[in-house]
Amino acid sequence: MKTENQRGWLFVLPVLILVAFNALVPLMTVVNYSVQETFGDNLFFWHGVGWFEDVLRSDRFHAALGRQALFTFTILLIEVPLGVAIALAMPRKGFWVSVCLVLMALPLLIPWNVVGAMWNIFTLPDIGLLGYFMNHVLGIDYNMTQSPLAAWVTIIVMDVWHWTSLVVLLAYAGLISIPEAYYQAAKIDGASNWAVFRYIQLPKMKRVLTIAVLLRFMDSFNIYTEPFVLTGGGPGNSTTLLSIDLVKVALGQFDLGIAAAMSLIYFAFTLLVSWLFYTIMTRNEQ
Amino acid sequence: MKRAIYVLLTLGVIPTALAAAGWGDLGKQQEEAFTWAKWWTEPVWPGFWMAWTRATLAFFIFIFASIALMAILEIRNPGGNERVGVLGLTTTRGDRLFISLLGSAYIFLAWLGLVGTPLWAPLGIAFLWTAFCFWKV
Repeated sequence: MKTENQRGWLFVLPVLILVAFNALVPLMTVVNYSVQETFGDNLFFWHGVGWFEDVLRSDRFHAALGRQALFTFTILLIEVPLGVAIALAMPRKGFWVSVCLVLMALPLLIPWNVVGAMWNIFTLPDIGLLGYFMNHVLGIDYNMTQSPLAAWVTIIVMDVWHWTSLVVLLAYAGLISIPEAYYQAAKIDGASNWAVFRYIQLPKMKRVLTIAVLLRFMDSFNIYTEPFVLTGGGPGNSTTLLSIDLVKVALGQFDLGIAAAMSLIYFAFTLLVSWLFYTIMTRNEQ
Repeated sequence: MKRAIYVLLTLGVIPTALAAAGWGDLGKQQEEAFTWAKWWTEPVWPGFWMAWTRATLAFFIFIFASIALMAILEIRNPGGNERVGVLGLTTTRGDRLFISLLGSAYIFLAWLGLVGTPLWAPLGIAFLWTAFCFWKV
């Protein structure tokens, strides 16, 4: 039997320790909180699985989960095709490549709370450029602080503005890695643009698109800062997504037990969807 | 004379009876009887970090022991025992453990949401599911 050098594992050790303290220990603490009740002062009382029962049967949780699913589904449906389309339209060589790449990377560099604040000011009906233009020039009644529909449109447009670039950059990386020979072969066969896209570009982008969809799913399913700064979950509860609701329960009400149970259920959803998605996308690769 | 004896007896008996019934214990810490359920669920290190109880500790010991078992099996029998199961997935034994645990979590959550406590029935279903995963998936 061949003996392998396992010393490489030692290099992973620092990361492992880091992950233990910023992910594993908090996660285990959350599990401990989820079966207990506390009134502060680090005093805990056993509560069993009662919090889980409460969360699973609460209308408030069902509503927040529904809004979260709708949000994630909508932005994926817009961002992935739009990102691929933009990547296809971008130049492959020359001066404009770097211009396009920098322009695309710009929204990704802006801190999340700044994105929320920017869009808040941008869309306010009396002082915002977009809000004022819509209400006073086009005469469309648009007020994201009053109408749930306007608030939803605003958070979705904001997310598309902020994150489509990520899909673009990933798809573009997949596109430029396709050797020229494929395109030449397609040209000789007289393949249409659609056929080139369907049988050459899309299969070659599959891996990066898997990563793009996974990242966008996880990020949008866990989104907090931007909608919190933009709408604060309002008007009413109409844009209270899961994480916003969770923070209201955990910090606003200091119900650590119920918030912990909520987080674990939330975690189970994310884990299942990510696993399903990854499994389906990588199934036929061996 | 007789009356005086009655009075003295009453004065002596009533307080004794009241004390025996717990009069005067108000505001004092009561000694609770030991039960295994309480031992299992009380804080292990009161006031310390992470709010551990023996029940949650046992849960994590079980999870880490399962992962450790996978590591031992992998060392003794490398290659992950890869196969294509009934779901059409190529799984190693680690994948099968993951599917068992995630599936069990959903079995418990579904039972809690639809039926409620106690959780002995979903525990049985979770064991069956785990057996199925390691046997067929």
